[in-house]
Amino acid sequence: MRLAWKELIRRPARFLSTGGALTLIVVLLLLLGGLLDGLTLSATGAYGAQTADLLVYTDEANGSLFRSRIDPDVRAQLEDVEGVHTVSGIGAVLLPARIAGSPDPTDVAVFGYEAPNAQVPAPPAGGEAYVDRTLADAGLALGEIFAVGPAAVELRAKDWVDDTSFLAQAGVWADGATWREVLAANRPDAVLPDGTWQALLVEAEGDVDAGELASRIEAATPGLDPQTRAQAILGLPGVEAQQGTFTNIIVMTFVIAGLVVALFFALLTLERVGLFGVLKAIGTSSRTLAGGLVVQAVAIAVGAFVVGGLVTIGLTPVVPPDVPIELVPRRAIVTALGLVVTALIGSAVSFRRIVRIDPASAVGGS
Amino acid sequence: MLLALSEIRRGKLRFGLLTGAVGLLVFLILFLQTLTGALLGFFTGALEHQSAQILVYGEDARRNPESSRVTVETVDAVAQVDGVATAAAFSENTLSVDAGGADLFDTTIFGYELDGPGEPTTLSQGRLPRADGEAVASAIDAGSGFGLGDVVTVVPGKQELTIVGLADDLRFSVQPTLFVSYETFERTVLATNPDAQAVLPSMVAVRVDAGVETAAVANEITDRVEGVDAVTREGAVSSLPGVSAVRSSFQVLLFLAGFVVLLVTGIFFSILTVQKTQALTLLRAVGASAGYLLRNLLLQVLLVTLGGIGVAAGLLALAASVSTPDFPIDADPGLILATGSATLVLALAASIASIRRVRRLDPAGATTRMAGGGLA
Repeated sequence: MRLAWKELIRRPARFLSTGGALTLIVVLLLLLGGLLDGLTLSATGAYGAQTADLLVYTDEANGSLFRSRIDPDVRAQLEDVEGVHTVSGIGAVLLPARIAGSPDPTDVAVFGYEAPNAQVPAPPAGGEAYVDRTLADAGLALGEIFAVGPAAVELRAKDWVDDTSFLAQAGVWADGATWREVLAANRPDAVLPDGTWQALLVEAEGDVDAGELASRIEAATPGLDPQTRAQAILGLPGVEAQQGTFTNIIVMTFVIAGLVVALFFALLTLERVGLFGVLKAIGTSSRTLAGGLVVQAVAIAVGAFVVGGLVTIGLTPVVPPDVPIELVPRRAIVTALGLVVTALIGSAVSFRRIVRIDPASAVGGS
Repeated sequence: MLLALSEIRRGKLRFGLLTGAVGLLVFLILFLQTLTGALLGFFTGALEHQSAQILVYGEDARRNPESSRVTVETVDAVAQVDGVATAAAFSENTLSVDAGGADLFDTTIFGYELDGPGEPTTLSQGRLPRADGEAVASAIDAGSGFGLGDVVTVVPGKQELTIVGLADDLRFSVQPTLFVSYETFERTVLATNPDAQAVLPSMVAVRVDAGVETAAVANEITDRVEGVDAVTREGAVSSLPGVSAVRSSFQVLLFLAGFVVLLVTGIFFSILTVQKTQALTLLRAVGASAGYLLRNLLLQVLLVTLGGIGVAAGLLALAASVSTPDFPIDADPGLILATGSATLVLALAASIASIRRVRRLDPAGATTRMAGGGLA
């Protein structure tokens, strides 16, 4: 093992090519993952922020907030279901917003809601709204009035909230009455009367399982479609397809990384056949030599990850602004672990050649 | 040339690994391009393949049909602008549709004035709607209950629509898409919400007079009519939300993947040439010309790259054969040829360092070596 380390330290140039190729693959992997996370977060942030166990739509809405409507009598039935702790209403409308000083309008998702969640406090006073921090990039300042929709309903930005975007539009969170006012003024086809919400957020009592509660709700209130938060997120348009497609591409890129490691270690092993013969002749086992190879592969993978990570962080500011890249630590950890495993598998391709090296070749070799 | 082939035969593992790596990288590039094309087509098909030459949005809508609303007065005002032949309301909404299967479909419905601007232009079967309650559907969804003669139901509201025509490349927002008369659209949307007060048009669809420039008329509409943003059909397609993000994202990924091909191929042949320096020098000393050695090197680059392209084409064909009808992946020979040619150029460019090293070999160097070297 020490020999492998010393070779890495004394002759880094020998491993530069493998490291360089792997570094680029790391950049590719991190950008792919960042793109997936950016797309997912911008589409699902508002749902991810919810603390409720279930999001309940009407079954005819097919998992869409905009097509669902739950009237007060149905809500009352739902509240009576055993295991339901609290029920609160939620609704949304996608609209353009005009921010003073900004030449172009900005797309926002205006939410009406009743209960606080992990990111948004309890509803503000009428005419006010909590606003997603991404709107600061569009020029919005706290306390400022901005206008939403073609009818230009005015709202005052009360405070920032984080990660509450919905379908790639910045979240704006208002109380029910203000939201209904926005809806009526801008979307006369989507108006809802007082007490009616697009969907309901349900918190389960104590240790009642969310899945079990969903079954009880379905049985007690036909026509409702209770979904766990994870189901609701995956049910948003395009999210599941996006995750499936990107995951396949990422897996394929890991396979390419494995092939690259295997390729270069095959070349490096070939270059050192004579040296390995001598080492075997003086008593070094095949296992020790293979172990050295593994150490080198893992070290190169880790080095490539560090350099690739830094390059990716450096590249992010110059990526076109309409590419929604979000670098999150969890993705980086998964990429690092995946790369190490891939490097291990790739380096194993050369084990057979090491085992086949005949110590006697050290005597007759050139 | 036999030398190049013999070396590949004796080094199956390393040449096989390189071919595999290049193959997967080229497949990644092909797959990303195919995916981009299919995704963009599914995002934008309905707007791209309708007859209006200009679409007029509300000025704050950022050219997003979902966000845009215009008034009936706006439709009339647009019709008065010089160069406008016909202007009519054109609306879009996404609704739940029961197409007879176990699940409901999120379906985009467009409403247009029959015989007016906004009708589908890629009808492949059946006919366009002639009456209320009739619809043209995206042909790709025919097998999902949107086939010719099928009756689908918009829920809630229980509005039935009969499919009387199928049109190619008509999807919108990657969903099944229906084109119906404007009256049918209004009735259907109102039926989904008993509290709805009115259905405002999403856009104005415009046909221009013969011989006038479409872009100029669009500019004239934006200037003359208050509160609107008029754009040509092509402009509307490229301005749709997500289109430019998808295009830019995939361009970044394609660039990186191409760069990895360049690097992997270049480094492989550089290392191989360095490892063979002694053997190559000896060959030069016994009379092999630099041209002969270069031809061998280039043959290997060519074979490895062509092998990789073959692997990639095979994988794409496999992906095409297992792709689902609602998201078909096409193994387009033109795309494979173009990408393959570009890869070949990249691979040859990548081998420049090796070519220079071979050209600089000094046959006299063989006399200073203890042994001729060579690879086992």
